[in-house]
Amino acid sequence: MKIIEKIKANKSDDNLTEIQKICLHKLQSSPLPNPKSELWRLSNKSKLSNFLDYSVNEKDSKFDIPYPKNSQSTIRLIIGDNCQIKLIEKNYSIQQLSEDELQKYIKEQISFFKQNENWSDLLNLSLSCKNNILGLKINGSKIPPIEIFSHASSNSLNAKTLVIFLEKNCDIELLQVNLGKENSSLTQSTFFCLKENSSVNHGVVSYGENRSNLLNSLNVIQQKNSAYNLGSLHFKFNYARFEISIKQSAGNAKTNIKGMQITKKDEQISTYTKIEFNGPNGFLDQINKSLADDKSHAIFEGSIIVPKIAQRTDASQLSRNLLLSKLAQIDTKPQLEIIADDVKCKHGATISQLNEEELFYMRTRGITLTEASKLQLSSYFQEIISFIPISKDKWDLLDKLLNEN
Amino acid sequence: MGVSFVKVYKANCNKLFFDNMVNENLVKDVVKEPYKYGFVTDIETEKIEKGLNEDIIKLISQKKEEPKFLLDFRLKAFKKWQKMKEPDWAALGYKKIDYQDIIYYSAPKQKEKISSLDEVDPKLLETFDKLGIPLTEQKKLTNVAVDAVFDSVSIATTFREELAEHGVIFCSISEAVKNHADLIEKYLGTVVPASDNYFAALNSAVFSDGSFVYIPKGITCPMDLSSYFRINSGDSGQFERTLIIAEESSSVSYLEGCTAPMFDTNTLHAAVVELIALDDASIKYSTVQNWYAGDEEGIGGIFNFVTKRGKCLGKRSKISWSQVETGSAITWKYPSCLLLGEESVGEFYSVALTNNLQQADTGTKMIHIGPKTKSTIVSKGISAGNSKNSYRGLVKMGTKATGSRNYSQCDSMLIGDQASANTFPYIKSQQPNSEIEHEASTCRISEDQLFYLQSRGIEFEEAVSMMVSGFCRDVFNQLPMEFAAEADKLLALKLEGSVG
Repeated sequence: MKIIEKIKANKSDDNLTEIQKICLHKLQSSPLPNPKSELWRLSNKSKLSNFLDYSVNEKDSKFDIPYPKNSQSTIRLIIGDNCQIKLIEKNYSIQQLSEDELQKYIKEQISFFKQNENWSDLLNLSLSCKNNILGLKINGSKIPPIEIFSHASSNSLNAKTLVIFLEKNCDIELLQVNLGKENSSLTQSTFFCLKENSSVNHGVVSYGENRSNLLNSLNVIQQKNSAYNLGSLHFKFNYARFEISIKQSAGNAKTNIKGMQITKKDEQISTYTKIEFNGPNGFLDQINKSLADDKSHAIFEGSIIVPKIAQRTDASQLSRNLLLSKLAQIDTKPQLEIIADDVKCKHGATISQLNEEELFYMRTRGITLTEASKLQLSSYFQEIISFIPISKDKWDLLDKLLNEN
Repeated sequence: MGVSFVKVYKANCNKLFFDNMVNENLVKDVVKEPYKYGFVTDIETEKIEKGLNEDIIKLISQKKEEPKFLLDFRLKAFKKWQKMKEPDWAALGYKKIDYQDIIYYSAPKQKEKISSLDEVDPKLLETFDKLGIPLTEQKKLTNVAVDAVFDSVSIATTFREELAEHGVIFCSISEAVKNHADLIEKYLGTVVPASDNYFAALNSAVFSDGSFVYIPKGITCPMDLSSYFRINSGDSGQFERTLIIAEESSSVSYLEGCTAPMFDTNTLHAAVVELIALDDASIKYSTVQNWYAGDEEGIGGIFNFVTKRGKCLGKRSKISWSQVETGSAITWKYPSCLLLGEESVGEFYSVALTNNLQQADTGTKMIHIGPKTKSTIVSKGISAGNSKNSYRGLVKMGTKATGSRNYSQCDSMLIGDQASANTFPYIKSQQPNSEIEHEASTCRISEDQLFYLQSRGIEFEEAVSMMVSGFCRDVFNQLPMEFAAEADKLLALKLEGSVG
């Protein structure tokens, strides 16, 4: 674990930013997460150490990732690509955050971090150099869809950070794509701050190649009357963790999450979500789907926290899982922690395989077993995929899921 | 209807009934019913000195005239316990327990051998009478055989002769050690090994008494069996051990009840219950737990750290846990089923009620190992006051559990805005050809329903009681007749004063 040794050694490097120094300092006493803690206990230790085995890459070889063609109507940004953006139009503006703004916000976030819970973010921020941090301030209306890409380069560990401020009454569609490369590790941390009355349709699509790894962390703060819709999809990673933390800072906000992870071979992909309601009248509708095949392992752990102040919260969480092979494993743990009494909270979890009766029906109608299973799977996937905003069609997600091995 | 309620009711009757605040206050008042079993029996007891070490364990073993295998079992467990750390993963907060400040053996002084109940100290009988436990022969009508455990030892077991006619063995575990050593040696610690967890190891080292049940092949136990646990002294812990073995095609229904006096110190109760069901056997284990829960400020009360586990060894065997948990300052309890036999069935029905500063972290584990195994979990949590009520459950499908099914449902009801209800279901599957379903919900007493009932002339208290009763109905229906009444009464005391 080269990275960890480097963190331990703490060579003072003048090139480091202040944030990197703070995070390195925080990590120094215990550079690895506690393997016995609830959040890390199921995580494959050797895969995690493989993640940390690459040396940090700060420069990207730009053109080795085949992005689909950009349409004119979307704004495309690639983190680490020295992208400069300053768009001031009649209805809207998209500007880069100044260094001071960026530093102030990240520092504030770090002050709430706990070593174990936010380990992925601490690692990301301690490795992410200036070039690889993108901060955006978005204001206005009728904003064209935005695509933001992060990618890893082979044989290296890449750290990318994204900070987005969404000003009041602003409404955007954002697709974030994280691409893994063969034998690579990518840590992506995203910080989202939704001001009052703003709304986002956020898509997160992450897929890798042979033996690529991903630590993807998403921190969202929602102010009053904001709406946050997230559609996420993770697949083809040797090891991937998707950590979502959403805070409704004063309640009265809406959150919709539809996520999916697909594991094959000996992959391990996990999703951890933590949703806190810090005010009344919050709303959450979450569904997480997993599919585990071959010898793979899919994990979902979701917690909903409703303190006393969060009266009239309406939260539901559903974990649906398909287990397709005898050697695959699924762990799921939806959990509720509730103190407020006037709330509607429910969660559900199911684990099963493809519905045999439906398969049988389709076969009696002349559809082959393979086709029938594909049909079933596509309906299973479609619910999530249709929730991912914009330009997803360009990516042929359904086709990738059904036909690639 | 409780007197306290009438006062509150009258004081409030001029206000709007469906006013939120009024109802909340009413519910809170209704919830405050004092503990009725808090008396102490003044009886001479024999206690050993405080503390825990090998000598103490040898002394306990010697007092109970145990064979060597059992002493070895205890010492081995003690060694393991010393190396273990007290678990801290449960959502519980409590003062550190000083294990050297506990008396590990306490027994009421009485004549050496008792041949009939007449020779039992009348004070003891009186105690059990006060608790409403039918020890005396007049109470034969109830048709329940009782094993009464007072502090560390079993006082009396009723109906033994009748049971013996059917070949059923029902006695205290100390007696079983003497008379049926082979069975004890064969089965003790096979379901809950000494090294299973911290409290099970402690229990294995120092367990004092408990009940032993053996149902021979093909016998349906002619009456319900019951044990009643009473902690009397404030400084001694209770460590009982229950072992139930149901041979092929037999069946038994076992009831367990518990109470303790009010002390302002915390008393430790760390029990182990092991159930073994062979082919086609069925065991139904029901608990109504009403240990003293501490006062409103959370002073005193029992720390209840219990390991209960059943092993469905045989094909088509069935183990069913049903429990009503109302007492204890702290409850840490997960009655579990290991479903080994093909087509074996595990069930768990639970109502857990917490009030004031009580904390409960309870649930179940259903480990599906054999094929076509089935399990059902129904858990109802009611939290009032400043209490904390957590459901924590594990459902695991092993690689060989083809065609297995699980259904879990856990519902929580919150009364007042200070109580907390948590749900932590762990679900793990390694078998594609199995199905797991889990659902959970949280609610409070619905204003609309309350208003509706009241508009139909049903008084507030009764309406709340009906609603809580309805909330728990799925579980109460599973309790044996003899217990359903007690459970109803208990909720009536605890919540109902009224609610229940």
